[in-house]
Amino acid sequence: MYPAAFDYAKPATVAEAVSLLSANPDAKILNGGHSLLPAMKLRLAQPAMLVDIGGISELKQVSVNGGATIGAAATYDDLLKHDGLKAHTALYEAMSKVGDVQVRNRGTVGGSAAHADPAADIPAALIALGAELVAVGPNGTRTIAADDFFVDILTTALEPDEVLTEIRIPASGASSAYEKFAHPASGYAVCGVAVALERDGEGTVTNARIAVTGSVYKATRCSAAEAAITGTKATAADIEAAAAVAADGLELAGDHYASAEYRGHLTKVLTKRALTRAAG
Amino acid sequence: MLLSQRVLCKAALAAQARGYPAYWLCAVACQRPKQPDTQPVVRGSAQPSSGQGYPCAEREGMGSMGETHVIGTRMPRADAPAKLRGQERFAGDLPVHGLLHARPVLSLQAHARLNGIDASAALAVPGVVAVLTAADLPFSGGGPPRANESLARTEIVYAGQPVALVIAESEAAAEEGAALVEILADDLPVVIDPLAAMAPDAALARVLTKASEDATEAAMHGVAAGGVVDAPSERLSANVSGRTHLHMGDIAAGFAKADVTAEGSFSTAWVHQGYIEPQTCVAIPNGMGGLTLHASTQGLFRTRQLVAQTLGLPEDRIRIVAMPVGGGFGGKFGLVEPLTAGAALAVGRPVRLAFTRSEDLLASNPASGGRIEVKIGARRDGRVTALQARLVFDTGAYPNSPMAAAAFAVAGCYHFPNLDVRGYEVLTNRLGPGAYRAPGNPQASFAVEAVMDDLAAQLSMDPIAFRLKNVPVEGDPRPDGKVWPVIGLQECLQRLSTHPLWQKRCAGGTATNGRYREGIGVAVGGWRGGLEPAAAFCNLDPAGVLTIVVGAVDLSGTFTTFRMIAAETLGIDYELIRVVSADSSNAPIAGGSGGSKIIYTVGQAVQRAALDAKAQILDLASSVLEAAPEDLEIAGDRVRVKGMPSEPAYEISIARIAQLTIGLGARYAPISGRGTGAQTANAPGFSAHLARVGVDLDTGRVDVLEYVATQDVGRALNPAAVEGQITGAVVQGIGWGLYEQIVHDDSGQVLSGSLMDYALPKADVVPPIETVLVEVPSPDGPFGARGVGEPPVIPVAAAIANAIQNATGVRPTAMPMTPESLWRALVK
Ligand SMILES: Cc1cc2nc3c(=O)[nH]c(=O)nc-3n(C[C@H](O)[C@H](O)[C@H](O)COP(=O)(O)OP(=O)(O)OC[C@H]3O[C@@H](n4cnc5c(N)ncnc54)[C@H](O)[C@@H]3O)c2cc1C
Repeated sequence: MYPAAFDYAKPATVAEAVSLLSANPDAKILNGGHSLLPAMKLRLAQPAMLVDIGGISELKQVSVNGGATIGAAATYDDLLKHDGLKAHTALYEAMSKVGDVQVRNRGTVGGSAAHADPAADIPAALIALGAELVAVGPNGTRTIAADDFFVDILTTALEPDEVLTEIRIPASGASSAYEKFAHPASGYAVCGVAVALERDGEGTVTNARIAVTGSVYKATRCSAAEAAITGTKATAADIEAAAAVAADGLELAGDHYASAEYRGHLTKVLTKRALTRAAG
Repeated sequence: MLLSQRVLCKAALAAQARGYPAYWLCAVACQRPKQPDTQPVVRGSAQPSSGQGYPCAEREGMGSMGETHVIGTRMPRADAPAKLRGQERFAGDLPVHGLLHARPVLSLQAHARLNGIDASAALAVPGVVAVLTAADLPFSGGGPPRANESLARTEIVYAGQPVALVIAESEAAAEEGAALVEILADDLPVVIDPLAAMAPDAALARVLTKASEDATEAAMHGVAAGGVVDAPSERLSANVSGRTHLHMGDIAAGFAKADVTAEGSFSTAWVHQGYIEPQTCVAIPNGMGGLTLHASTQGLFRTRQLVAQTLGLPEDRIRIVAMPVGGGFGGKFGLVEPLTAGAALAVGRPVRLAFTRSEDLLASNPASGGRIEVKIGARRDGRVTALQARLVFDTGAYPNSPMAAAAFAVAGCYHFPNLDVRGYEVLTNRLGPGAYRAPGNPQASFAVEAVMDDLAAQLSMDPIAFRLKNVPVEGDPRPDGKVWPVIGLQECLQRLSTHPLWQKRCAGGTATNGRYREGIGVAVGGWRGGLEPAAAFCNLDPAGVLTIVVGAVDLSGTFTTFRMIAAETLGIDYELIRVVSADSSNAPIAGGSGGSKIIYTVGQAVQRAALDAKAQILDLASSVLEAAPEDLEIAGDRVRVKGMPSEPAYEISIARIAQLTIGLGARYAPISGRGTGAQTANAPGFSAHLARVGVDLDTGRVDVLEYVATQDVGRALNPAAVEGQITGAVVQGIGWGLYEQIVHDDSGQVLSGSLMDYALPKADVVPPIETVLVEVPSPDGPFGARGVGEPPVIPVAAAIANAIQNATGVRPTAMPMTPESLWRALVK
């Protein structure tokens, strides 16, 4: 359980971090270390240099006023202490279901997004809430929609020399929820479903965002279920009908613990449960 | 852009390519401590059974069961403080001058012809001292195959098999080196399905080597079950390494008498013992061709024998120091010791080999899985008439499955007048199995208890009442042709039948709520109990402390219980007694800590050694106090003349007695007790359990909500320790039932090689566990004790399965009962 040898740098600014990444093509950012260090100890990752962003104080900033701006190095535990974030229920619930106390004390929402583990909870919540992710690189700053951020297994839209600096959750007024079926060993999501519903004065769903993780190779929107619930009053029957199509069109993943078919089934069950809570 | 992927190595990408999210961290399994109220049930003092003699306690003058002062009290475990404070030093913690570190290179192929290795890159790593292969180890060829193949020779027989061992000045260098060794081997056909592997023309799990020195010896394997045993004679492939056939009465006539029959086919998984401390050994050459091994072992003598045989050295050249064991459960009877010893001799320096968690999941000796088919017939009055069973156990690359024990266990809890049980063990290209708490029994119970429940349903009988009609009692014939001694299974079931939880089931009072159901199930299990001769010494130290010396290691609080036995026997304060484990060069003989036999056998030797010391102490005191030994009593820290005032003339302290025996000019012989014994009669222990579960019909997820475990423990010498044993076993049983499995794919790759994939039960899935101790004294155990370690793990998975059946109407047939498997059964 010893990683291969590596260099270590601890920049004080984002600009410094970006230039370290640019100068060292085999460098990796070290955030909470709760995905990267285990992979290194098992020699599944062997970066030549770690660029520790723990010394960049602006990356730990959090501000909540309607919407929320979350620094990429803020830990789950920091964030769970912000009562204002409870309004973004899907994210709040997803964070509270990550790992255990130790993991939440070190792990970060930014690190989870940048790592793009197909079984992580956070990506689904970010997609459902319509989050935007801000990246800084040698060519300046750009903003990436959560919909476009998660590209494949452990793959995001970030360039190797870009630093994810913050995550913005818009003030949409959506009511949201996250449902998870946890793996008994890892605690990660065998399936996780985040939903966010915007409704008009009559209670009609005007906008629905439903995202699934765990069942799929990358966090993905359940477009068929979104279409089915939009324009309805989200009654029990509407929810049942939307949940029934939740797995339609998804590229489902399977492994020895849970087959693709079963994960598709769980996607429907959890969509129903998440919709029921978000609508209630 | 592939941000994360650019630094992922080949293996990770391969894992992803197969579609497995690869999780790599260890989650720590722990159990929620429970302190339920328990009410020991004492069934008077046992009547001596015919020809069995009186309970040992009576015979050896310990007074009747009710009169003990230390025995039966709740004593905190003596080893607990150091463990809780992190002060215990395990084998891997030893500072050793000049120590080298070993890292194995594990095969990725499950079956291959080994052509060699390329170690050049590894040898170039600074700090790497040597890269050893089988040819470099000074092995004689005399040890058992698994030890001889500690590093693969000509044939790789499972994925995870160590092929080379990198020796380096630091752990980090050893690991770096191991990552760079290349194994050169050509694939051979992989045998992974034990059922298919039995066919006469099946591909063979070994083509270049043999798994046992002698095929007839393997065929004899079943004889371990004893009694009426012969080998079935079908034509089967050479993969079948062992067979057994237990029969009694006339099976056809038995089924002809039956009014109803029930049957099922059940599969069980490979399960790891889940000890916290991985396999660890430090080997130190003594410069004269011998070695000292500091080992995490459950049995120092067995480990010594194994190492000596493998190295071809006389046993007295090997000294085993048994270190505190961080869990074993049957998995630590010698595995890495021959390899570590061979490596240390090869390089001429001390070597430490401590498996990582993943190495332990890939290359150790877990419990093996298999298939058990059971058919039982019963008459309308609820009497069983016949049992037919066929067991196939996968034994991986080495014949060591619990098939014979399982064959006994399927027939062992009920009185089947006619039975026919056939068992087979089959070689495949998986890691070799080892013992795990009540080997073969949880699997057997899962099958038999399911069929018994189904029969009770067909007969419209209460499942406990049905079982009570069929459980064996003293004098009934045992499936191996012997006769049951006094046992307490009936008493355990009677306790459960009146328990409020069972009453709740009888009243139909389990919850249902939408797509959620609850159910309550019962199951039983039993263990014959182990036997092995044992000796113990005890010496009175200068400070007046009585030191008991044994050749066993302190597992599950046994040393605490030895102290209690000695304190009770002698009348000396518990605080003035301690227990040490000697090393193999000077320890009194003892069997390994396994099979629920340490208190029953070594405990008896300790009791006898204490009696011997007592006589010597009274003799000495009699001479000093000028009173007859019969007029003396030992009271705590002194010997006194009975009935006399507490004055110097009438008493002498134990410390003073010690001083009179030690030092220049001392006039009395040292106090040194010796006790030996060879128990010949088993003291079987039975348990009966209730589980209440909740089932989510939508997902198939099962939660155990409440648990009740009764067990006949003979006599609970230390009820706190006994309850701890039972509680821990129930947690392990929940793992068997719902979570644990070592999964291989068709190419023999292990897909559950870390605790991020291999699921152990954690605190959040462990319900309140109530223990109910039933005490039907064994005739020969110290103070009536029976072994308590194995029985409580046996019925857990079966009780959960029967509760699921009660909740849903669906009969689970595969262990572990995962959410997906139950969902599939529910939607069928
Ligand atoms: C025992 C355990 C249980 C867990 N259980 C769960 C669970 O149930 N659900 C769940 O979702 N997660 C779980 N996790 C993962 C946890 O949430 C991780 O903390 C998270 O996935 C990664 O965040 P981190 O800050 O630790 O990132 P790190 O491990 O430091 O980094 C992860 C990756 O992202 C890159 N990276 C990090 N920050 C940036 C940045 N600002 N810009 C660019 N690249 C960056 C790193 O270079 C690295 O490649 C668990 C982890 C452990 C150890």
